[in-house]
Amino acid sequence: MVKLDFHDPSGSIEVTQAHARRLKTLEGKRIGIVTNEQWQAFRTLPLLKQMLEQDFPGAEVLAIDAFPQGNALIGEEETAKLVKQSGVDAVIIGNAA
Amino acid sequence: MKNAVSGLGLAPDAAMITFPIDMFLPGSDIAPLNARRHEFYAGLTQWKSAFSQSTSGAAPLVSVEGESYEDALDKANHLLLTNLWGDGLPLWPATRERVDRIIRGTVLPRTHVIGKFPPRGGITTVETCAIALAMAGGRPEYLPVLIAAVDAFLDPESNAEQLQAASGSAFPVVIVNGPIAKQIRLNSGFGCLGPDPQRPAGASIGRALRLIQQNVGGALPGIGAMANYGGMRYTNAVFAEDEDRLPDGWQPHATERHGYQRGANSISLVFANGVTNIRRRGAKKETAEEDTLQGMHRMADFMRTPNLAGLAGYEKGTPGILMIPGVVAQTMAGLGWSKKSMREFFWEHSKIPAADLRRAGGPAWIEIDANAITRESLKLDPWPITAKPDNFVILVAGGGHPTNSYWMQGYTPRVIGREVRVPESFEQLLAEADRDLGCGSDACMI
Repeated sequence: MVKLDFHDPSGSIEVTQAHARRLKTLEGKRIGIVTNEQWQAFRTLPLLKQMLEQDFPGAEVLAIDAFPQGNALIGEEETAKLVKQSGVDAVIIGNAA
Repeated sequence: MKNAVSGLGLAPDAAMITFPIDMFLPGSDIAPLNARRHEFYAGLTQWKSAFSQSTSGAAPLVSVEGESYEDALDKANHLLLTNLWGDGLPLWPATRERVDRIIRGTVLPRTHVIGKFPPRGGITTVETCAIALAMAGGRPEYLPVLIAAVDAFLDPESNAEQLQAASGSAFPVVIVNGPIAKQIRLNSGFGCLGPDPQRPAGASIGRALRLIQQNVGGALPGIGAMANYGGMRYTNAVFAEDEDRLPDGWQPHATERHGYQRGANSISLVFANGVTNIRRRGAKKETAEEDTLQGMHRMADFMRTPNLAGLAGYEKGTPGILMIPGVVAQTMAGLGWSKKSMREFFWEHSKIPAADLRRAGGPAWIEIDANAITRESLKLDPWPITAKPDNFVILVAGGGHPTNSYWMQGYTPRVIGREVRVPESFEQLLAEADRDLGCGSDACMI
């Protein structure tokens, strides 16, 4: 038998931060939406807001324009700062395609 | 998405809900969102990352066994494909010996980190480059150009993070200036975009870059890269400017664009997403002046399109790369043209009347552009396809034939330059190339 050893070409990755902790419940929570304003976000994300507020008593989902919108703005530090300042318990980000 | 999350330093997965593209199109039925609402709720309350380990350090080895070397080579290629590390063409497995041989082509240490390759964020070292070059059939003397190209690719201003994943089928174009181009057998003449068995360097370097984009950066078709068509993606485009045929007084691209001294080894990286051959020469009894001017107009007419990909580089990038053969450059220089006057001509004659731009829906894209200068340009009629003439990249390249020129449509916020550093042993590597491939000088080529 001939054995051939060769390098895995995929390069290593480094995990430097943890994903956000999950909420125990959505009842009574404030939820933000950060959107790139693409891919029918103006229809899908308001529907999501409506569903969450219907299904979880006391939940408040901020309007989709509560934070800066668009691909050019949602990745900015300023947007992250505004999200933190708003005091929301969780954030939904959409839409990728 | 997983790539993007990984690139941010998070575990390479996320609480995400995936729908077919249909729901995201105008007028779509969004009822599926309602039907799967509980997945959103679970994503906010129950989701846990399934990723359990962080990897780092030297690239691990994988093994195959075969009844013969041929069988093992087949099995290695099968493994490369099933692990999603191949490109569909046969590869050389990056054995330790092969990688060690290639790594002699750099002054940098093997573990030197060039950066994290977006969007996946794979750590890209000198060894990573050597592995990709080994797989792509490369040679040690190609490594300095590949490393410079990777370094340019990872420049934060290249916008590689988005272009790697975006649907616009961007591919990197690597333009090489300086003596290294001939030394390593890069093509600048007939068939400079390849393939060329006498000047094979561009194919291997470009293919290695593509493998890094996929394997380290995560740009897998339809998964990590949403490029609709993916043109030019086997070897990208790696070639040299034909400096021998630059007319007197014309500067190499690297000198004009990046300020590198003529004779310095350098690369310039541009993202493009389309190419067009333009029949430039006249067909009847045109004078040299008529032939030139008509050709210039035909080229400008190709540029005068609402190419919205070009918005990416409206202020500081380029609307595209125009390649003209040396024989045409010589004629044009004789008539008083320079690269500068060509750029001014193209800028003026590629402007789009505002009515045409409106008809094509261009203003909506310009209005939402992140760059204020781009948004401001909407007031102009006719609308210039780029902010200033200097943005056009003009190269002398291609075979010694006057009929055609070539236009590569830009999709690049910047044109990124890097000097190329070679090791002290470079002459030895070139001698080995002569031994292996035969004499590489112009006089020896067919």
